[in-house]
Amino acid sequence: MSGKTSKLTRPGLPGWLILVGSVLLVLVCLFPFWWMVVSSVKTLRELYTVPPIWWPDTPTFQNYSNVLFQSNIPRYFLNSVIVSAGSTGLALILAIFASYGFARFKFKGKPLLQSLVLVAQLLPTAAIIVPLFITLRFLGLVNTYWGLILVYMIITLPLSVWMLTSYFKNIPVELEEAAIIDGASRLECLFRITLPLSLPGIASVMVYAFVTTWNEFIFALCFATDSSVKTLPIGLAEFSTEFNTDWGAVMAASVVMTLPIAILFLSMQRLFVGGLTAGATKG
Amino acid sequence: MAPLTINDVRKSYGALEVLHGVNIDITDGEFVVLVGPSGCGKSTLLRMLAGLEDISAGEVSIGGRVVNALQPKERDIAMVFQSYALYPHMTVEQNMGFSLKLARAPKQDVRDRVLDVAKTLNLEDYLQRYPRQLSGGQRQRVAMGRAMVRNPEVFLFDEPLSNLDAKLRVKMRSEIKQNHHRLKTTTVYVTHDQVEAMTMADKIVVMNAGRVEQVGSPLELYDRPANIFVAGFIGSPAMNLIAGRIVDGHFLGADGTRMTVPASAARLEGQEVKLGIRPEHLVIDPQGHPAEILTVEPTGAETLVLMQLAGHEVVGVFRERITLAPGKTLSLSLMPDHIHLFDTQTGLRIPLSPEN
Repeated sequence: MSGKTSKLTRPGLPGWLILVGSVLLVLVCLFPFWWMVVSSVKTLRELYTVPPIWWPDTPTFQNYSNVLFQSNIPRYFLNSVIVSAGSTGLALILAIFASYGFARFKFKGKPLLQSLVLVAQLLPTAAIIVPLFITLRFLGLVNTYWGLILVYMIITLPLSVWMLTSYFKNIPVELEEAAIIDGASRLECLFRITLPLSLPGIASVMVYAFVTTWNEFIFALCFATDSSVKTLPIGLAEFSTEFNTDWGAVMAASVVMTLPIAILFLSMQRLFVGGLTAGATKG
Repeated sequence: MAPLTINDVRKSYGALEVLHGVNIDITDGEFVVLVGPSGCGKSTLLRMLAGLEDISAGEVSIGGRVVNALQPKERDIAMVFQSYALYPHMTVEQNMGFSLKLARAPKQDVRDRVLDVAKTLNLEDYLQRYPRQLSGGQRQRVAMGRAMVRNPEVFLFDEPLSNLDAKLRVKMRSEIKQNHHRLKTTTVYVTHDQVEAMTMADKIVVMNAGRVEQVGSPLELYDRPANIFVAGFIGSPAMNLIAGRIVDGHFLGADGTRMTVPASAARLEGQEVKLGIRPEHLVIDPQGHPAEILTVEPTGAETLVLMQLAGHEVVGVFRERITLAPGKTLSLSLMPDHIHLFDTQTGLRIPLSPEN
């Protein structure tokens, strides 16, 4: 490799500059996370020291023990899991069927319907809070899991449908025709051929929907005022009161909140690589 | 195995009709090739036989049963796609057994049947591989195996060889033919390649612009093309066509060249005709018509010569080795028994003798 390629001059920036640039970029992106982790093991006094301490001499886990055993965070964590998993699952199921319809069938008004799906995404959050609240109250769903799950489903569904539609469209239609000739029904086509080949698309939608709902703040603040349904972002905010903020606890809780997302990303990473349809057709 | 009847079948997309009433009778066990230029409707017709497209009008019956309203799986057909359409997430064995699995056949039966077919196609060693790990020819064979596993009444092939390189295409062509000899399953095969059609078919259906131009055995089409389209489409290099008319029992080319034609052409006195002659029916003859050589293409066994004759470019194929260079003149005559005349107005062939 080195013998031949070294003679060719590569156009563009020199390699060392690209390396330095990338490292800088990564440092800037990761700095808040580093600060979050470091701060979570500092004592309150160390947090306010100037100049800042980059790594405390005696890391303390007092913040974690406070967060895990003396606050509502574990309960909020459970609520967040239920609400995010519930809305992600629901959005995924609906998105699969809606996207398959958009991707595979011709029907009147399809372009209009497809753009209407996006309109929900375009409305500013503040504009729909009040109508949603009234609706939820009418349905008796304020301060319930179902209320949050349905609201989150509404905000994640449009983009999920668009993502999956474009993914389904890329699966060669001959594969389904072959399956139909082989005796498959439409549903069998979807579940035995198209879905297994769309795993990277499904994974992206899951990560998108889960992360969006996991981090959502405004709706949770308005529709879940009882501690039995409050989610983690609200929990974080509760550490800062009118008089003081327990930054150590906020940081520890933030770490707790970040971990599931990090794990989700790492476990799905393999799927994003794609290339699942290699060898299907001519290739 | 079953006969297949296509009776006045039409296909329209809205107001646009793309198939204008197609009639084809296919007997039990016959190998029929649908051939035509791209866009002629041959693939659409095949997809209608398969049940992937609706039949707008007319009737398709398989084994005496009208299948218009039946789902593909109820038609007892199997199809091989141009792109093979192998399921990429399944092994060769799963690909081939998929239809039986959907039909809820017992697992052992599926395995036995797949192994059976795999043996006849030399695929036993590849059963656990995925399509991406196979070569083009192997993928092609798996696609065929997937169709054969079901033992259908009718095989449908949609340009199955067009993704292969030239050498492999010839090999797979004879493999498909051998399989047909062994299985004797009624087969409808779509291609745009007239060589494939000539070499494989029991019966060729030439299609053009949504119509059937002619149906017949390969040599029938070659020897007695029904019209100018078939004459030009079947045969490679194509039949030479020279425009002119019949004057005094002779063919008079547009540039004034007089050519002798069979005596029966005298009844066409004065009519505008096109004279057709196949490249191999031009012979070198000192008493013939002068033709200026434009290019010479030796292929070894024979030599193709492009010439200017009677104001038209014509191709001749000669077994002799031609050493003449472009720019020189060759003297040619036409084998009288192999001259075709076509009506310029209708494009239809004018029979010159009862047997030709």
